[in-house]
Formats: sequence, C-alpha cells, structure tokens
Amino acid sequence: MDLSVQVCGVTLKNPVIPASGTFGFGREFDELYDISVLGGVATKGLTLEPRAGNPTPRIAERQGVILNAVGLQNPGVEHFIEQDLAWLKGKTRVIANVAGKTLDEYERICARLDGLVDFIELNISCPNVKCGGMAFGIRPDDVKEVTHVAKGALKKTPLIVKLSPNCENIARNGAAAEEGGADALSLINTLTGMAIDVERRGFLLANRTGGVSGAGVRPVAVRMVYEVYHAVSVPIFGMGGITSAEDAVEFLMAGASAVQVGTHNFTDPFACPKIIDGLSRWCASHGVSRVSELVGAVS
Amino acid sequence: MREVLATVLENIPIAENIYSLSFATEEEIAVRPGQFCMIGVAGFPLRRPIAVCLAEGRRITVCYQLKGRGTRALASEYAAGERISVLLPLGNGFYAAPAEKKIALVGGGVGIFPLISVMGAYADRDIYAYMGFRSRSAFCMESELGRAKKLVISTDDGSFGLRGNAVQAFERDLGQEQFDVVFSCGPLPMLRALKECLEGKGIPAYVSLEERMGCGIGACLVCVCDRTDGAHARVCKDGPVFAIGDVKL
Repeated sequence: MDLSVQVCGVTLKNPVIPASGTFGFGREFDELYDISVLGGVATKGLTLEPRAGNPTPRIAERQGVILNAVGLQNPGVEHFIEQDLAWLKGKTRVIANVAGKTLDEYERICARLDGLVDFIELNISCPNVKCGGMAFGIRPDDVKEVTHVAKGALKKTPLIVKLSPNCENIARNGAAAEEGGADALSLINTLTGMAIDVERRGFLLANRTGGVSGAGVRPVAVRMVYEVYHAVSVPIFGMGGITSAEDAVEFLMAGASAVQVGTHNFTDPFACPKIIDGLSRWCASHGVSRVSELVGAVS
Repeated sequence: MREVLATVLENIPIAENIYSLSFATEEEIAVRPGQFCMIGVAGFPLRRPIAVCLAEGRRITVCYQLKGRGTRALASEYAAGERISVLLPLGNGFYAAPAEKKIALVGGGVGIFPLISVMGAYADRDIYAYMGFRSRSAFCMESELGRAKKLVISTDDGSFGLRGNAVQAFERDLGQEQFDVVFSCGPLPMLRALKECLEGKGIPAYVSLEERMGCGIGACLVCVCDRTDGAHARVCKDGPVFAIGDVKL
C-alpha cells in the first residue's frame, strides 16, 4: 500500500497532517506517539514578534463543533526557529503557518523562514490594519496581493495559501491566490461564529466571535474543496471536520492531494495515526494501490 | 500521560448536582495529587477536564458538577460496566516537600475534590482541612474528609458548619497554627481572599486553577492564565497548580 503523496515536488510519507493551532509544534503529542508517523506537521500560527493572544475563555462547544479564539498566541518566529524547528526538523515535513497584520510583516516572516521549512502556509484570515481590519482573505484582489508579496520573499520554500471560507466566492479567491503565485492551497480555515450563554446573557468566548471547526463544518468544507479543485491547477490540502479515514477519503475525492486534521486531535489525541492506519485499510479493502489515485476521483 | 479505555465501576450522585465517577484501568497508573484527566464523552468534540479525587490502585475516582450538556451526558450515559476513554495523568499536581509536615487544605465548591487527593497521597502528614460548600445539600465526601487531623466545614448559608467561606475558617486558625504549606482550589474570589490573608506570612501556598481547555496536554494554548511576570502559562501543562505568587488571580 502506497500512502505517499507528492505535493509541489515534496514527498509526504502519507497525506495526513495535523492542522495549525491544534498541535502546537508537535512536542506534546510526541509524548503520546512518535510524530514521525505523520505526513507532516502544520505548526501553530507564527508571527514576527511574540503574540499574547486573546483573553480567556478562548474555547466553546456547540453540537458537533467548537469555536476558538486563541488570537494567535505564539512565541514569535525567532523562538520557533531556535527552539521548536530545531527539535521538529527531520522528524517529518514541517509546514510553518504564518500570519501578519501588514503586507510587510508577511513578506518579512516568509523571507525569514525561506529554505528552513518544507512549506510555508499563509494564514490570510487575519485583519489587515491598512484596510480597517478587514481580513486579507475576503476579497480576491487582497488575496492575490498578499500571496504575491509572500511569494516574492520565497526563493526555496513552496507557498501554500490557506483560504478563508468567510468570503464571497472561495473558488475565485483560490484562483486569485494561484494568480498571485501560490504553489498550493489549503482550505478551509475556520468559519466565523458566535455562541451565547442564554442563562448568563453573555458570550461564551471572551472575544465574542471565534472560528468554528469540527465535524459539523465538513459538508461545507468538502463543497469548497470541490469548487476550488475545479477552479485551479495547484494542489490542495483539504480540511474541515475530518474525524476518520472515510472523511479523509471524502476530501481526497473532492480534489485534495493531502488532508489536515484539526479539532479531532482534541477529541481523540491519537486521531492522526488512527486515520493513517485507517487509510491504509480503506485502500486495501477498496483495491486502491496508491492513495494518490483517489484525488478528485468523484465522478 | 496516556489514553486508557477504562471500565466504569460507579457513576452516582453524591450531593446536589455533584456526581462521583469511579473507573478501573487495566494497569495501575501513578497519579500525583492535584493531577487531572480528560474524559471523552461520546458525541462531544471536547473532552471534559476533571481533577482526580482518589487514586487507589487501578481504581480512580473523579467528581464533577453537572454544568452543561456534556456533564449531564457523562452522568446519564456512563453506567457501571460502560467503557470510557480517559487521558491521564495530566498537569503537575501538588507537591509537599518532606519537611512540610503540617499541610493546610483550603477548598471551595468542586475545588475540594483535587484537595482530597492530597489527603490520600500525604496520609503521613498533619492535614488541616478547611472546606467550604454552598449549603448542606452540597456537602459530600464525609468519610474522606474525616481523615484530616482537623476538619472545618463551612457553608455560605450557614446551613452546616460555620457560616462563611473556607478562607474565613482558615484565617481563624492561621494565628494559632504554624502551617508549613497551604494547598488550595476553589472559586477565584476565594483564591484571591486566600492570597490576601497570606500576604507577608511567609507560608508557601499553591493554588490549582480551572480554565476551559482544548487539548489538555499543552499544545493548543486555549487554557492560559496570566503569570505575575507578564507571561502566559498553560493551565493544563504548566499547572494546574501554581505558586500563589506566580499567577494573577
């Protein structure tokens, strides 16, 4: 059984990657299982300078989904390079997830990480301070511009642009990222949501709004991967509510070359290795010799 | 830290809105006092972080308050004989140095349960327990609490024991007793009051904090608290037990 996939000329031993923000830099999960079994690790979102994040509570739960508003708490890119990347490198493929408040910040963090990691994944769901706080990932022109700036800073490392579902037309935004120079796309980031404690008449998250993720968003995510797959020619990392090997296969068939698993790491910390094993069994029982045959295989 | 598929031995109400869940693990797991576990409830994306109350061989007991849909499902769906997924042991726990012979426990509400684990682990010390409940209907764990050298119960409404909270009861004894260390867990106002009454006394004190959690193992940065040095700490991994002077309450 060949679970390996090629994305932008980089070989992943399997298509299963824990999604950014749910896995730290891998150290804690490595106490539970050897993380070198993973196809890669998408790191906690990184910024140029350390970020303190939002006040607590930062998480809430609704049927089939969670909401989070961590607010990009991270130790900054320099700390990551010295402390975390040094530990993580060589164990598996490293996808450095990066964020910024300005185009200049995106450019600088990409330049700093170029050549040090296997992929850079651009989080474009952050507010753009120059556009009154509107996220970079909403309008196609902004998506293209931020992608173009990031790509310009990269000489060696392939660029993944992580698309936000909070937009008018995700296929158009995917095409805009491709025009801007994206080597790959990942989707979906979380859907913006809100939860209210009706007894307390208050918000469940200190930040009031947060990103919705988990099994309940999967049909939305599958639809979006399918639409983007038919609008672009670059490979796609699909994600959104994956809890099992069958869910992963659903994303591959919709057009993803690899998948990311986020929220389910909280429900089951062994989610990723279980999905890898499950994929192997699923392929064997369905006469599939290479998992890459499944990409876009929905008729 | 590991995931175990444990067998529920008992899951019963022990006070108003409080359940005691005991489960058996296949092998004995060393749990330090004050550590917690993440319990999976089928159909809910997030595990529930709950402090270990008693760890006796392969039998582990946790107590929880019915607060929302998840804890109500935990109470109704996991009868004796059911299998339950538990991630444990998590967090740092309470530690008393060998020279710390006289330990004060100051607990309020569900905060009494992690402190009961201290009584089991440090049975050779002199334990002075100051335990606060909302009212008589919330009182529980009588036999476990009875192991303390001195036990002072208080209730907010005065329906049982002293009227007032556990810190007020503790403060009355603070003048006469020379405590080597204080361990506490309970609502934030109670912890703040404890910090205030210990100000300048030079007695080491540790508090266990509660926060909504994502992963429970230190990866997601959901359950942070503010340290007095300005940095964030992860309640699940760096805590839940902190020196009282190290965190903003």
